[in-house]
Amino acid sequence: MRLLLVEDNARLASLIREGLDRQGFAVDWCETVDGAGHALKIGDYDLMLLDLGLPDGEGLDLVRMLRRRQDTMPILILTARGGLDDRVLGLDAGADDYLVKPFQIPELAARCRALLRRPGASLGTELSVGNIVLHSAERSVAVGGVSVDATPREVDLLECLLRRAGHVVAKPALESALYSMDAEVTPNALEACISRLRKRMTAAGADVQIRTIHGVGYALFAPAVIYG
Amino acid sequence: MDKAGNSKKGPAGPTLFRQIATRLGAFTLLFALLDVGIVVVTYSSQPESLAQELLTLEAGKAEASTTLAPDLLVGPPGAEHWHASYIDPQTVAPAGSPSRPGVLMDWTRRERVPDGYRISGVRSVMQDGQQRWLFMRFEADSLRPYVPVIVEELVRHVLLPLIPLSLLLLLFNVFAVRRVLQPLRRAEAEVDALDPKNVLLRLSEAPEPREVNTLVRAVNRALTRLDETMAILRGFTANAAHELRTPLSIMQLSLDKLPPSPQRDDLQADTQHMTRLVGQMLDLAQADALAVEPDVLVDLADVGRNVVAAMAPKAFEAQRDLRFESIGDTRALGHAEAIYRIYRNLIDNALAHAPGETPIEVSAGPGPQLSVRDHGPGISDEDRPHIFERFWRKDRRRTDGAGLGLGIVQRLAQAHGGAITVENAPDGGALFRVTFAPPDPAR
Repeated sequence: MRLLLVEDNARLASLIREGLDRQGFAVDWCETVDGAGHALKIGDYDLMLLDLGLPDGEGLDLVRMLRRRQDTMPILILTARGGLDDRVLGLDAGADDYLVKPFQIPELAARCRALLRRPGASLGTELSVGNIVLHSAERSVAVGGVSVDATPREVDLLECLLRRAGHVVAKPALESALYSMDAEVTPNALEACISRLRKRMTAAGADVQIRTIHGVGYALFAPAVIYG
Repeated sequence: MDKAGNSKKGPAGPTLFRQIATRLGAFTLLFALLDVGIVVVTYSSQPESLAQELLTLEAGKAEASTTLAPDLLVGPPGAEHWHASYIDPQTVAPAGSPSRPGVLMDWTRRERVPDGYRISGVRSVMQDGQQRWLFMRFEADSLRPYVPVIVEELVRHVLLPLIPLSLLLLLFNVFAVRRVLQPLRRAEAEVDALDPKNVLLRLSEAPEPREVNTLVRAVNRALTRLDETMAILRGFTANAAHELRTPLSIMQLSLDKLPPSPQRDDLQADTQHMTRLVGQMLDLAQADALAVEPDVLVDLADVGRNVVAAMAPKAFEAQRDLRFESIGDTRALGHAEAIYRIYRNLIDNALAHAPGETPIEVSAGPGPQLSVRDHGPGISDEDRPHIFERFWRKDRRRTDGAGLGLGIVQRLAQAHGGAITVENAPDGGALFRVTFAPPDPAR
């Protein structure tokens, strides 16, 4: 994974490069809009991390220029601008995500990974949180190395939750996963299914927690996760 | 009559009418006194004419009352040896009369006697269409008998002309001044309508009178200077907070690289606190400058769900339960990101003040309102006036907040033309409620 970091503060840039390097990303760095344009011509990048106020221009102009050229490279804006309209402005210009400084490396790395999971791109076939491992191709679940019998619907739900572990997954998103399996879903089907999944995981000795966020959705938490 | 002096706020000074009336009254009085002085001096230097007036006045009394016999006339006050009688022109004229018998005319004589003066004279009196002649005589040793004459003179020559004139002048003055000050009253209404949020508002300049025009222009110049200062202040807060973010990022990332130690943890906590403070200062500066477009429809429930979803992991980590509920139609006119921050700051506040293990209930609706309720100790009456003050904290020893969160919420609510209220729920805990403008049904 090659990332292009456009950031005019050298000290911050080197810290980000080091941090992302440890997370398994290869990061190239340039300081200006011009430099970024040049680097993009020469190199092939999977993701760009872009600061907005650059010495020779506005980062958003670079985003607009790339999008006009039909370039679909994911762009993550990394900025000190946290104004009420800034995020919307950035996303409207064509950026894929927006992170306000200061941030922590795990949060940045997680967002980079999320952006790199492109539609159609090959997804990891093995999802693992805590002592749970889900093989998405085989539709099988194991807890602590021991295979667990789960219905296809439960595996689907668990996959949704595992993919967004540590984050709340909204009810409609989970429901649509159920509906795709079975057209005859009653309003309480989701709750019932979650409840069965929870019992099954507890019984199997899983160390993750499946929490209900009343009125919003569900979230799966690893035993000790650093939340951005 | 005049309400110009009674401004909307607080007690006012005297009204224009009263001021003019007081001054005019004092002026009239001064003139009256001056007049009295002149009259008194004039008559004192002319005792003859004063005596003449005195007898004419007494004769007038006899003429006014037909039934009054001449000896019933009491005479002027302080007069001694008062004598009054009708005389027949055919008989002999009374002693001392200068006219010949048979021919009578009005006359007056003033002469000195050993202890004062004596006045005598004759006046022709018309009674029942019949001419009669009244002879009067008295002695006195002071000016007292002249008092009625002087009073009579004052009433006729001073009070009668001055009072109507003064009243007319007063009316004219009040009318004219009020007319001339009409532009001032408009300016007053415009100043009342001035709003720090609408910095471009200025007083409209009236072409006349010039005095009002110069005042209005001076106020407008002052407003411009204030705006410039305000803009510099706002800009400074926003710029300072913004500029602090990059060094804070560097500090935070550098700290993360250090080997684990209690010192590193402390420094990390300090950096977090600083980060939060900088974020809130920037939020507040932005909230102050926020202008809500009144035609953007936002679903409070959607925003609420997003906030709760984003904050729930952090809350669960702290062993807290966050719940969301939406009731009925939850659409409102507003700014989605601003509403997101309203929710976030209210939830942060609840997380900071309610004890662990108690749920925080977030709700949207019914109608254009949202609320955040905790099960903590609630807000005491003593604290209630302060909770929205900037940088106010109940316990200043706590360092996890700057006391800006609720101020931001209030400012954001106001920018929406909405309001925030806080009450203690019947079964304990604080309940914050923010109301917004409802969506226009015509759309």
